[in-house]
Parts: sequence; structure tokens; C-alpha cells
Amino acid sequence: MNSKKRKRSLEPYLWLLPSILLIGIFVVFPIIIVFRLSFSEISKAGIVGGFAGLDNYKEAVSLPAFPTVMKNTFWWVLSVVGLSTLLGFIAALLLNQKFKGRKIARSILIFPWATSLVIQASVWNYIIKYEYGSLNNVLLNLGIIRQAVNWRSSYQIEFVWECAVGIFVTIPFVTFCVLSGLQSIDEALYESATVDGAGFWHKLFSITLPLVRPSLSVSTVLNIIYVFNSFPIVYTMTKGAPANKTDTMITFLYMLNFYDRKKGPANALSVIGFLILCFCAGIYMITVMRKEEETL
Amino acid sequence: MKNISVRRQNFTALALLLAGAVLFVLFLNAPLYTFKASVYTKKSSNTFVGDEKYQEVLAEVQAEAARYEEEGFEASISETVTERVNSKGEKTSLVAFSIDQTFTRNLWDFMRSSLPSAHVIRAMLICLGLAVIFAAAGCMGTMDTPYRYLKSSTGVLRSVPILLILADMVLLPVFVLMNNVTFWRKISLFNEELLTEGKEELFGKIDRFLFGGQMGDKIDTALKNLDMQHSRLLWALLLFLLLALVSAIWLRHGRLKNTILRILLYAVVLVICVVTLYPYYVMLVSAFRSNAETLDMYFLHMFPTKWIWSNLTDIVNRGVPRFLLNSCIIAGGATVLAMLCGIPAAYAMARMDFKGKKAFLGFVIMSQMFSPVVLLIGIAQLMNNLHLYDNLLGLVFVNAAFNQAFAVWLLRGTFIAISPDMELAAKIDGCNTAGSLIHVLIPMAMPGIVTTLIFVFINAWNEYTISTVLISTASNRPITVGITQFSSFNMIEWQYLFAASLLATIPVVILFMAIEKHLTGGLTSGGVKG
Repeated sequence: MNSKKRKRSLEPYLWLLPSILLIGIFVVFPIIIVFRLSFSEISKAGIVGGFAGLDNYKEAVSLPAFPTVMKNTFWWVLSVVGLSTLLGFIAALLLNQKFKGRKIARSILIFPWATSLVIQASVWNYIIKYEYGSLNNVLLNLGIIRQAVNWRSSYQIEFVWECAVGIFVTIPFVTFCVLSGLQSIDEALYESATVDGAGFWHKLFSITLPLVRPSLSVSTVLNIIYVFNSFPIVYTMTKGAPANKTDTMITFLYMLNFYDRKKGPANALSVIGFLILCFCAGIYMITVMRKEEETL
Repeated sequence: MKNISVRRQNFTALALLLAGAVLFVLFLNAPLYTFKASVYTKKSSNTFVGDEKYQEVLAEVQAEAARYEEEGFEASISETVTERVNSKGEKTSLVAFSIDQTFTRNLWDFMRSSLPSAHVIRAMLICLGLAVIFAAAGCMGTMDTPYRYLKSSTGVLRSVPILLILADMVLLPVFVLMNNVTFWRKISLFNEELLTEGKEELFGKIDRFLFGGQMGDKIDTALKNLDMQHSRLLWALLLFLLLALVSAIWLRHGRLKNTILRILLYAVVLVICVVTLYPYYVMLVSAFRSNAETLDMYFLHMFPTKWIWSNLTDIVNRGVPRFLLNSCIIAGGATVLAMLCGIPAAYAMARMDFKGKKAFLGFVIMSQMFSPVVLLIGIAQLMNNLHLYDNLLGLVFVNAAFNQAFAVWLLRGTFIAISPDMELAAKIDGCNTAGSLIHVLIPMAMPGIVTTLIFVFINAWNEYTISTVLISTASNRPITVGITQFSSFNMIEWQYLFAASLLATIPVVILFMAIEKHLTGGLTSGGVKG
């Protein structure tokens, strides 16, 4: 009896073991490595020296490109997450209507989600080329513009394009999250609201929004993390050029570590990014856990 | 009483429809297009601006301009001066005078011309005429029938005008764009000699349209500086059509709101679909173009002039099958590993009660927060230590680990949704826990498992960043990294890049569409609700 009870209490952990090992080795361990390296002296060749205190952090923060990069990262996350949430929400409202071809429209909207970011970014890179890009070509051929337009005349505009591509690929995720929320709403709620004389906006704000809020908040927090970590779009379209002016934190620390070989500051930046993500993750956990308690 | 109001409404709608059509036809007389062309040019070489020779030629040109004015055209003289240095080292200039004539054309002129857009305006008039006829026919003898009692044949008769007028509203921009193509794009391409095919024919048509066919051989010079503008008033036509559309809808349904919202819905969805598919159109079309065509600014076609299928064989020879195979190994391996670790964990989370359950859940969610990118350096270091650098196995592990959270999360939701009764029954029959999982729960949870499986596979397949860092040998690259070999710093072979991208995208898109139903069924809600 006693042994059986102990077996039962040990059993769940055995079931969890493979999963814990996998995450432990390949997720937690790199975190530890990054933390350790950020406080160590590292040579350009990657040889780890002694304890360096906060030197790496000081060096990272005092890099000339650091303020630009942080500003870019902020705008990148804010614009991509904000606009894709708004547009994705509207798209979900539309695709939740019943109309002919809804299934096809939904399938089409999946495309950007299913495509690798590096491929999406390459295609858009080609589309907005000045000399031979597809956008100029199509607009000229359709007679919409008279002369070829330089779509990437300055780095600010290039950065805006990067954000636009980011929004484009993020919308489907938001749409499908919201759609899943919308489908769980009982039709009867709308019917009784209509009987009570509620208009479109009233129904939107007092039924739809509160009920899809959980889906929306989950998708928003996940998006903040995905978008913050997004690497291929910026890397493929501008590589951060000119002079880190279009870099976000992730591309910047990649270049810093693998091209400039400034491994110390790069690790310090990793830790800073990690802490920012921890903050977002904390918010996410609180939201999810609260919902968890509600439903369990 | 009721019938009279219906009659009045129908009558108003019909009258408005007719008014829209009449206004449209009347407006065709408005001089909406303004052209400016050099009808006469004269060069004076080796002159200085203002000297004798210059004055002489200027007088000649002015006389010519006066003749045009007499004929009732508006004509202005413009001059272009080109500085040049002659063999003696003196500065001289070449002055070219031209008489620019400005004139207008209305849409009837376009309709009577032989320009390509003439057909469009004819089609628009025919549609509008038919719309009026159908609307009138739909009202014959049914003017005071309430809408819900309309016979279906009458309903059809009254629906046709809506479609016809919608077609007109699409055709109007088509007309404008076709003219832009003719007078902006085509003429400039001909002038720069980037396009030669069909020049004679088109210029002949334009000659007849603009100059009554009088230019003959001089048409080339006349069109050198042709300028065409259309008045913004042109869009008033769209307003008239809108009036006609609204009345047609009113006539058919007796109320406006729903139909208009419906049309708007379709329009917006159509725009969304077109924008979404545009990059894929570019990818598809460019994958089968020649290199010269992908780099051609003056490419005039929507599709390749010749579909180059050899692009596919070319990329096969440049290692793409190897990349695809690598991607299959990485994504397949990562999926299997993630499921092998994830299913037991999800099972424990769904069916067992133990201390630290919540902590594990937090641990899992926490690990979902970190895309491998921010930990790039740490992972690279770790792989170096484990001797998994430049090794497909390393990517299998990393992808499995970073998708683990997602897998556990989705699977747990699936398992919880299934009642444990069947497993209990199996256990009573003498099955142990593992047996009941394998023989009872997994078959029942198959849809959810397949969804999770595909999801992990796609994530691993599309992964790019870690692979660029961890893989250094060309033959070990997955497809997402492999395609970048076609875009080196100084030369991008777009056609190969896109052909390879196409091969990498198609299977994933198909897989994704297969689980589309489950995506809406509850990515977040399924997971969160648990």
C-alpha cells in the first residue's frame, strides 16, 4: 500500500521528465550561458576570461548605435503589434460574417502565416525595388502611376516598409485567434441585443469586444514576443543598413556578435532583451493563469 | 393605402435610376480630357539666344503659330536650348522651337475612335442601357406589388440592373487606366524605343483620334512631348452610377442598408484577398521568367512571355533537393521528438494530480516566451560544447525544444476535452497507464494530435535564424537558408530564388490549409480553455 502510494506520487514526474529534459537542456541552459557570458571578459576569438562586472553592459549601452536601435525596436514592436491587431481584428469580424466564398477567403488569409518569413521578406524586397520591382511595373502597366516611384528613397521609408511587411505577416495570426474567440460567442446574445434595439457599435463594444478579449490579449502578448524576436524581415530587407539605422535589437546583436565580434556587449544586449521578454512573459502568465483559474 | 406607397417608392426609384443614366450620358459631352502636343517643330542650330538667326527662326515660328490660332486652336510657343561647344572652342547653342497645341476631347470622341478604350466606353453604355430596360421591364405591371409578393421572374428582372451598374462602376476605372496606359506608358516606351511592336498601328489610331489623321509621317514628332490629363470631374460619372446603383437596389429590395453593406463586404474581402495573394503571384510569375525579364523595368506583361521551366531543373542542379531533404529531416525529426516528449507530459498534465503541476505549467509557458533568437549566442555556444555544431541533429533538438511548450499546451487541451471514462474502462480490463494512453487516448485524440504535429512541423520547416548560425556547410543547409545562396551581394538571381521559394512554400501552405478548421476551432481558446 505504502509503496504503491509512493509510486503513484513519483509517476507524474516520470511522465514529465523527457519534456523537462528537452526544455532544460536547450532552453534553460542557453539562458544560463548568456547570463554568464554577459558578466565575463570575452576576447574577439570567443575565449572567456575572468569576471568583468557590468563592463559589458556599460559598453553595450554606450555603443553609438544603441539609442537608435532601442528606438527602432520600440517603434517596430508598437507599430507591428498595434496595427496588425487592429487590422486582424477587423478582418476577423468580416470573415466571421456568412457569405459565399468565406472558406476560400479564410484559406487565402492563411498564406502569409504559412510562409517562411525569409521568403516573404525576399518577395517584398523584389516587389519594392526601384529599377525593376514588381510594384512599379504593375502600377505602370495599369496606368496608375506615370513614372516609376522610388519606394525606398530613404532609410526611414525602408524601415516603414519593414514594419508594413511585419504587419502583413502578423495579421493572419491575430485574425485566426480572434475568429476562434468569435465562434464561441452564442448567437442568441446578438439576437436578444437586437431585440433590445442595440445598434452595430453597441453590440461591438458590449458583446463582441468583452467576449473576445481573452483571445485578443493572448494573441497580443504572443505577438509582442514574436515580433520582438523577429529577425528575417529586417535582416533580409536592409541588414540594418545604413549604419544600424534600420536595425532592431535582434538584428543588431546578431551583427555585433557574429560580424563585429563584440561578444561581450552582444551577450549583455541578449540579457537586456531577455529581461524585456521576461516582463512581457510575466504579464502573459498572469493573464493566462487567471483565466486558467476561472475555467478549471 | 399600402399599395400606393409602394407604387410611389417604385416610381421614385425608377425615376432616379433613369436620372442617373441620363446624367451619365449627358456628361459624356463634357471636355474631360486635355491634350497638349507639339504640332510643329523647328530647329535653329549654332545660334545664341537673341541673335539674328534666332530672331529669324522665331518670326517664322510665330507666323506658323498665328496660322494655328486663326484655325481656332490654342497654340503656344516653347523653346528648348541646348548648349554646345563647336570645333573652334566657341560656345553656341541649339534652339529648338515648338508650337504646342492644347485641345480637349470628350468621351463621345473616345467612343468613336479606334483606341482600345473605345470598346470599354461602348460596353459601359450598353450595360447602362440594358440596366434601364431591365428595370423598366421589371416594373411592368408590378409597380404596386409589395416587395415580398414579387414573383421570382420579376425579382430576377429587377436584380439584373444592380449587376449591370456594378459592372459599369468597375469599367469606368478600367477605361481611365486604359487611356493612361495608351497615352502615358505606351507612348513613352515607343519614344524611348524600348518597345517597337505595334507602334505604327497605335500611332495611326492616335493620329486619327487627335489630329484627324492629318499628321501622317509627322506623328512621331508630334507625340514626342504629348501630355494628357483628365479632369477630376471625370469621377462625377462614378457618382451618377452610384445614384443609379442605389436606386436599382431600392427598386429590387425596397430598402438599401443590407444590400449596400453586402456589396461593401464583398469589396473589402476582395481587396484583402488580392493584397494577400499579390506576393504569391509575384513569386509564381518570377519563378518562371528568364533572368533578363526579372530585371526588366519595362516589362509589359502580367505573365512571363515564355514560361522557363528549365529554372526548376537549374535549381535542382544547385542543391535545392538536398536543402529540401535537410528541411524534411529537421522538421520531421523535431516533430517526432516534440511529440515523444510532449504527449507524455500533456497526458500527465491532463490526467494526473500532483504537486508542482502549476509550476510545470508556468515553466512551459515561460519557455514559450523565448524564441531562440534572443538566446542565439547561448545556443551557438551550447552546440559547440555538445559537438552538434553544423549538424542537423542540433537543429532537431533546438526546434523540438522551442516548440515543446506549444505542443504540450495544445495536446493538454485536446486530452482534457476527451472524457477519461474509456481509459478507466481499459484499466479495469487490465491495461496499464501507458497501454491505455497508446491504445485508447491517442486514437481518440488523433485530430488534435495531427493539428499539433503539423503545427510543429511548419514552425520547424520555416525556421531560419538558428539555422543560419548553426549551419556552416552548404550541404547541411535547410531550404530557408539554402535559398539565400541565390542572392549574393552583387547579383541576385531572382528567378532561382523564387523557384526555390515556391518549392519551399507549397507543401507548407497545403498542410496549413488542412488544419485550417482546427485553427479557427481554437488555437487560443482550445489551449486556454484547456
